[in-house]
Amino acid sequence: MIQVEGLTKYYGNFKAIDSLSFYIDAGEVVGFLGPNGAGKTTTMRILTGFMPPNEGTATIAGYDVLDQPLEARQRVGYLPESVPLYKEMTVWQYVDYVAKLYNMRNPIRANRVDEVLDQVGMIDRADSLISSLSKGMRQRVGLAQALVHEPDVLVLDEPTIGLDPGQVREFRELIQQVGKEHTVLLSTHILSEVEQVCDRVLIIHNGQIVAEDRPDALSARLQGSHRFKVKVGNAKPEAIAEVIGGLPGVINVTSTDDGVEVLSEEEQDTRPAVAAAIVGKKWDLLELRPLDMSLEEIFLELTTNDRQTYEEEG
Amino acid sequence: MQFFKVIGRSLRSIGIVFSHEFNLFFTSPIVYLIGSVWLFLAGGFFALSLSAINTGQYEPDMLGMFSPMVFLMIFMAPALTMRLVAEEYRNGTNELLYTAPVRDWEVIFAKWLAVWAVFSVFMLISFVYPLILFSRGNPDPGLIITGYLGLWLMAGATLALGVFASSLTQYQLVAFFVTMGTLLVLWLAQQLTYIITSPKITPVLAEISLVSHYQNLVSRAIIDPIDVGYFVGIITVFLFLATQMLSTRRWSS
Repeated sequence: MIQVEGLTKYYGNFKAIDSLSFYIDAGEVVGFLGPNGAGKTTTMRILTGFMPPNEGTATIAGYDVLDQPLEARQRVGYLPESVPLYKEMTVWQYVDYVAKLYNMRNPIRANRVDEVLDQVGMIDRADSLISSLSKGMRQRVGLAQALVHEPDVLVLDEPTIGLDPGQVREFRELIQQVGKEHTVLLSTHILSEVEQVCDRVLIIHNGQIVAEDRPDALSARLQGSHRFKVKVGNAKPEAIAEVIGGLPGVINVTSTDDGVEVLSEEEQDTRPAVAAAIVGKKWDLLELRPLDMSLEEIFLELTTNDRQTYEEEG
Repeated sequence: MQFFKVIGRSLRSIGIVFSHEFNLFFTSPIVYLIGSVWLFLAGGFFALSLSAINTGQYEPDMLGMFSPMVFLMIFMAPALTMRLVAEEYRNGTNELLYTAPVRDWEVIFAKWLAVWAVFSVFMLISFVYPLILFSRGNPDPGLIITGYLGLWLMAGATLALGVFASSLTQYQLVAFFVTMGTLLVLWLAQQLTYIITSPKITPVLAEISLVSHYQNLVSRAIIDPIDVGYFVGIITVFLFLATQMLSTRRWSS
C-alpha cells in the first residue's frame, strides 16, 4: 500500500532523512517511533505530497507521489501535528469543505460528513464553531477531516501530542478502531503508544530506520529485567549494594536518593535472587520495579545491538 | 476528452476554494468596514461631481468618482488581500491545501477570484450612482461603461499584486505594506511624469504606471486593447508569481 525506496531529503546541508526504504501492506497499522528531529514528519510530508524528496520514490496505492500527485493525495488522509483548522467555520462546514476538496459529491458527501463526525464522537458539536472547541475535540475534528474521503491510507503525525491523559486514552481507542478498516502510518515518540495500537513498528533515528519489529517483541527486547530499581525500608544503600552486588548475574549496583539501581546481565532475571537476599536480611522490601528506558537509551541500545549482530554476522 | 476532464476538474477545484474563500470574507467584520468606507468615499466623490453638474457647466459624468479610485486602491487592495495566503501559513492550514488533490495555481487563482468578487460586490452597490445620473440627466453611457471596466480591471490587477504579497509571508502586516508600498511606487511613477519631462523617460513612466492606463480607460470612452492588456498582464504575472511562491514554500517549511 505504501512503498518507499531510497528516500532522501535535505534541508540546506542538513540531511533530514537518508535513503529511507520501507513497505507497508494494506490493512497494517504501523508506528513510526523516533525522537524529535528523527525525520518522522519529513517522511510523512513526502508521503502526503506536502513536499517533494530530493532522491528516491514513494508510492501510495501504486501512485507515485511525484509523478501522479493528485491521484496519490486523493488516497491519503492526513492529520498533521498541528491540526489545520479554519477556526471561523463550524465543525460541519469544515469537514464538508475538506470532503469537497477531496472530490466528494452530494448527496454522498453530506451523509459521509455526518457518519464520520459520529464516528469520532463530534456529531453533537457539528454546528459549533471550531474556535470554541477544546484541544481534544480539535484533534477529533482533525481525524474526521483525514477520514472523510475514505482514504486507503491514513497518516497521523504525533496524533496524541498535547492531549491530557484521558483524551490520549480515548484518542488511542479511536485510532485502534479506525485501524481495523484502514492502513495507518502513525508517528510517535511514546513507546507505549506503539505497543497499544500498532501491528508493526519502524524505529527511525537520525533519518534512518534502525530497527523494525513487532511491538511486543520490541518491548521484550527493551524492557528486559536487566535494569531495575530496589527500594528498601530499613537499610542504608551502601549495605544493600554490598549484599546484592555479590549475587550472580548482577553487574553493577548504584545508589540513588531513595534506594539502589541494579544492572544485571541481559539474559538473566536476577530479581528473584535480589528479593530473596533482601528478605533474608529481614529488611523491608518496599519496591522492586523495572526501569523504563528513555527513548534515547532505546536507540542507543538498538543501534549498539544491531552493530554487534552485524559484526558477529560479518 | 482527457483535456475536458482536466479542465473540468480544475474548474471544480477552483469553484470549491473560491466559495470557501468568498464566504470566509463575510465572517470577518473587516470586509464590512472596508466596504462601508469605500462606498462612503465613492458616494462623497460622486456627490462632489454632481455639484459641478448643477452649475450647468458640464455634461453629467462620473469622472469625479472614478479618478480618485486608483488612489483609494493603494490602501484598499492590501487591506482586502493581506489575509488571503499569509493566514494559511500562519494557521498551518496550508498543510491541508498542499496535501489535498488540488493544484497550487488553482488555489491562488481561486483566492484572487474570491477577493475580486468581493470588490465586485462593492462595485455593484455603487451602480446606484449611474442610475441616479440617468434618472436626472443625459450622461454618456460609453464613458460610464469604460469607467467601470477600468475600475474593475484596475482592482483586479492591484488585488493580484496583493495576493502575491500575501504569499510571501506569514505576517499579514508585511503583506499589507509590501502591497501598499508597491502600489505607491506605481502611483508615484505617474506623478513623476508631471515633473520629469525628458522625452525618453516620461513615456516609459506613463507606460508602467497603473494610473495612466486607468485614466485612459476611464476618461476616453474607448476600450484600448493596450490598456486592457496591461491590466490582464499584471494579473497574470502576479498570480503566476504567487503560485511559484506557494510551491517554493513547500520546500522550505
